[in-house]
Amino acid sequence: PVEGPSDANCVDEILKEMTQSWPPPLTAIHTPCKTEPSKFPFPTKDTHPSVHKR
Amino acid sequence: QSTESSSKTEMPDYVVKYTPLVSLDQRQGYKDDFNAEYGEYRQLHARVESITRRFTQLEAQCRKLTPGTKEHQKVQDEVLREYKKMKQHNPNYHEDKQRCEYLHNKLAHIKRLIADFDQRRAQSWC
Repeated sequence: PVEGPSDANCVDEILKEMTQSWPPPLTAIHTPCKTEPSKFPFPTKDTHPSVHKR
Repeated sequence: QSTESSSKTEMPDYVVKYTPLVSLDQRQGYKDDFNAEYGEYRQLHARVESITRRFTQLEAQCRKLTPGTKEHQKVQDEVLREYKKMKQHNPNYHEDKQRCEYLHNKLAHIKRLIADFDQRRAQSWC
């Protein structure tokens, strides 16, 4: 698709297109989240082992 | 920042689907949905990131050199080669990038709702 009249134009186009800023990735959801008190936030009925991530 | 979206007036489907949380069960459901797509998202993100990084390097090299010189031309050729190579290895690069941007916004939305919920809960305990 990128077909400029000259290679130089073409390269400029490519660079413009391919160097758009890219945000850092989202981090995973951590449980419990850091704004919470350190105690485990779930009622004991749920024994899902999801505490290994901090 | 990639805030531009094709249609700003139309609400993305995930905004309609994921409304503010009211229960822990719902929280688990949102989190499961997040995790279900998070792997794909990270994979796409890493691919786009490495391609972007490569071209950003080449651009920086180009800018340091004087146009018209042999060295400059060499880097320009390299850009073309890299681009062709990228198209070969990732024929769906643009779709992948768009998909990744969509996932980024969607997952960020879900994550924000969960964080809001957690914060409300934390406050109600103190």
